[in-house]
Amino acid sequence: MTLMSATRPALPRFRWRELQLVVLATAAVLAGLVSLATVNRGALVTALWQDIQASALVAGLFLAASLGFAIVRYRGDQTILPLVATLAGIGLVFIERLQPDLAALDPDLAGLASRHRIYLAAGMVILWLAAAFVPLDWLQRFKYTALLASLALLAVTFVFGTEINGARLWLTIGPLQMQPSEVVKLTLVIFLAAYLAEKRDLIGASWRFGPLRLPPIPYLAPMVVMWAASLLVLVILNDLGTALLFFGIFLAMLYAASGRPVYVLTGLAAFAVASWLAYALFDRIGIRVQNWLDPWWDPLDAGYQPMQAEYALASGGILGTGLGLGQPWRIPEVQTDFIFAAIGEELGLLGTCAVLALYLALVGRGLIIALRTRDAFLRLLATGLAATVGIQAAIIVGGVIRVIPLTGITLPFISYGGSSLLTNCLLAGLLLNISATTERGQPAGRRR
Amino acid sequence: MRRNPVFAVLGVALLVGAGWGVSRYLSHGQWLAVLAVAWLAVLFLAWPRRQKRTGPASIESVAKLGLVLTSVFAILALQLARIQAWEQERIVTRIARDEETGEVAANPRLINEDLRIDRGRILARDGSVIAETVIDDGLAHRRYPDPATAYVAGYFSPLLYGKFGLEATYDAELRGEAEVSAWTRWQDILLHRPPRGLDLWLTLDSSLQRYAHELLGDRTGAVVLIDVETGAIVALASNPHFDPEALVTTTAEERDAAAAYWQSLLDDSDRPLLLRATQGLYTPGSTFKTVVAAAAIDAGIATPDEVYRDDGLLDVEGHVIIEANRPDDTIEMWSLRDALAFSLNVVFAQVGLELGANLLWHYAEQFGFGQEIPFDLPVARGQVASSKEFLESAPAIADTGFGQGQLLATPLQMAMVAAAIANDGAMMRPYLVERVVTRDGETRSETRPRVWRQVVSEETAREVRDMMIHAVTNGYAYGAAIDGLVVGGKTGTAETGDGEPHAWFIGFVGDPEPRYAVAVVLEHGGTGLSGPLAIAREMLAAAMAQRA
Repeated sequence: MTLMSATRPALPRFRWRELQLVVLATAAVLAGLVSLATVNRGALVTALWQDIQASALVAGLFLAASLGFAIVRYRGDQTILPLVATLAGIGLVFIERLQPDLAALDPDLAGLASRHRIYLAAGMVILWLAAAFVPLDWLQRFKYTALLASLALLAVTFVFGTEINGARLWLTIGPLQMQPSEVVKLTLVIFLAAYLAEKRDLIGASWRFGPLRLPPIPYLAPMVVMWAASLLVLVILNDLGTALLFFGIFLAMLYAASGRPVYVLTGLAAFAVASWLAYALFDRIGIRVQNWLDPWWDPLDAGYQPMQAEYALASGGILGTGLGLGQPWRIPEVQTDFIFAAIGEELGLLGTCAVLALYLALVGRGLIIALRTRDAFLRLLATGLAATVGIQAAIIVGGVIRVIPLTGITLPFISYGGSSLLTNCLLAGLLLNISATTERGQPAGRRR
Repeated sequence: MRRNPVFAVLGVALLVGAGWGVSRYLSHGQWLAVLAVAWLAVLFLAWPRRQKRTGPASIESVAKLGLVLTSVFAILALQLARIQAWEQERIVTRIARDEETGEVAANPRLINEDLRIDRGRILARDGSVIAETVIDDGLAHRRYPDPATAYVAGYFSPLLYGKFGLEATYDAELRGEAEVSAWTRWQDILLHRPPRGLDLWLTLDSSLQRYAHELLGDRTGAVVLIDVETGAIVALASNPHFDPEALVTTTAEERDAAAAYWQSLLDDSDRPLLLRATQGLYTPGSTFKTVVAAAAIDAGIATPDEVYRDDGLLDVEGHVIIEANRPDDTIEMWSLRDALAFSLNVVFAQVGLELGANLLWHYAEQFGFGQEIPFDLPVARGQVASSKEFLESAPAIADTGFGQGQLLATPLQMAMVAAAIANDGAMMRPYLVERVVTRDGETRSETRPRVWRQVVSEETAREVRDMMIHAVTNGYAYGAAIDGLVVGGKTGTAETGDGEPHAWFIGFVGDPEPRYAVAVVLEHGGTGLSGPLAIAREMLAAAMAQRA
């Protein structure tokens, strides 16, 4: 083996590891779909065979993507795609599982699974394109464009946005609805990575103000801007989750760039103050806090949704009821914000911990990719992208299981929702792309 | 101490163990505080010690970021373990009740199961049905055919008001969960076999229960008939009462009717939801004199022949007690036996003062006053006085001595008092559920009669028993006599402060061995001589007739 690769250093070997893992993931998804189709729920409607077949086809795209990478001798990381496929596959199975029950409650949701399949298929294409074709140095060059685009998108959402459930998060263009905050989180990471990479030499400098040693202006300025921007998202878009996510991403990247916990602690303190103000000023947030501490305070109204989520999670116990055998549709909005509770009910503690482990593996892999790059921009970009997935998953899971107040954001790769799925696939594609730049002709298989 | 990942891992392991052990004792807020502290501790322990100057975007800061995210996910996993494993059962069965409407919010999964499950029957000891489930088109309808016994079962209202009474206390049995071993249960879950509920056989006698309601008519009050030797409850009548069938809500249509009925129950000033036999608290009045007599004899302060002076008035530190009960105003000296027979307040005020606050408190507690009475249905807790300080004044002791003061008791407890005296001082643990039986007639569990407490010595109890018999043969309770049987009893009148006093009777019947004890209370029923006494006599006679 060593001899062979030594003689042919330029050509990477066939991506066996990725293919094996993707086969595993696809097999698991297929097993889930088949068990959904065969589960006996008495008189209740079960998933239709044709739906199951369509989903199986989409799951086949995971394999296709992997084979595609293998055929073009792609050099990127071999575990990102399997992880994404597993998470997205779990999402697909659960959307498929929830659709009949949700459609029975609300006919508008009848097309849920078919739309999700289209988004996922598009997502796989985007992942592939982002991994293979996006020139990363462009991203660095157009950092201010990215920033402006972010702010513009948010502003447009503010002016023309559609309000759903009290939060102004959606832009409606013709028949399509998109959630700009999902896109903005990516442009934000790109901008921050480029900006912090450029100013990295200023790290040692500090700025004296009387007896105080303040951080250098280049660090201080974006910090203040970001803090204000998060606050605006919170106040104007009325969306605590996105604000928390943006600010979390910012702090993570600032820390990775500077290595100074002081900035993070200061930022956290500032955010805490802002949150407290928001709590004191807005009833909506007060209710969230009440529900966080005890949803049973208003069981039939305000506390209904989190209470149902808790019932679902607890009903699952350690092993879960089994796919299709629980009653997760009883939770309002289970297909987006609360899909984690549905997983908890039907797959149990083992399932929820497995999902957490998958996210952790994805984050870990992303950080390893970051560590392997020499380029400061790419390292910060990979760090930011990995942290984004981790923070977003932690915020929504933490909200659902009441570690923090509930904030309505999607569970990456799993929740129903086009914007979320597409941007997260783009994010994974970028991670792959970054990893490909570091392999420098080395066969990835040798890094075992 | 070196900080390194080993300590962090050890710390997490410790935390998991501790969480499993203490998690159930903590509120959500307290648990979150524990998690927060644990998270910081783990981070502190695992944080790399090397304080090398870090450059921009260094390996170290990226790795530390990974460490922070990992620790966050570990905390999430801990919380998941709490919800899905440690606290799982408590959360699944958690119920919230809306204070205003009484509506219940419970786990819809359990409600859904309740709507379908073939719930066990509740049967009287004679086999007549108190509650049963009829399955119609996959939906289970709970039926209570006999209005005189129905409310004893409680109510079963899965969509609105939850469960109450035996339906709540024996829910696991009625659902069939308690039927099988864990292994069979697992098989049932895997094969999706619906469990079949177990039947409850009660000690209640449906004909005596109906008779009690016949005797009560539309008067407000309660009747408790108890088997002296075992503590089994044979009749437990409360008036007014509710109809649990009107609260059953299997379908949406039934919901509105049930809500309207519930509201009418809440609005009713007679409070039909209150089961007076077990939840009604009344001043025991003169029936409490049996307790005082027993206390005095047991403590060696008096004998039944001890003579007390009663000239119609007693001045206790300025508090004047007027005697209205003497059958002959010319007699001033009365034995304790006659004092009980004629319910002489002045004598019992003196006995109470002789006993003193401590002994009075002690014996009242022995007879169950202020004690939690273990029973299959919720029982209100009576009291000797709202606090011990009340008994610090002599007038208060004197009043308590003849059954006034701040004393409170349920009819169930007073029936137990009569039964304990008839049963040589052994107060039996009252029970309503005799057996838990499968559909195939196999007995799963059976209640064994158990002594709850020995309230006074056997000798004392026999002396007081004879005094109560004397009260029927020679005293004011003469109307309770039954030909050919031995009857003992004590009337009571409880001043309420507003309107007519409540009327009491407690007593027992024997052949001559004591068999049944009874307590009857009628709200604002006047003196204890007519109404309650007549009801008690009829109940005791009927119970003995049925026994023969």
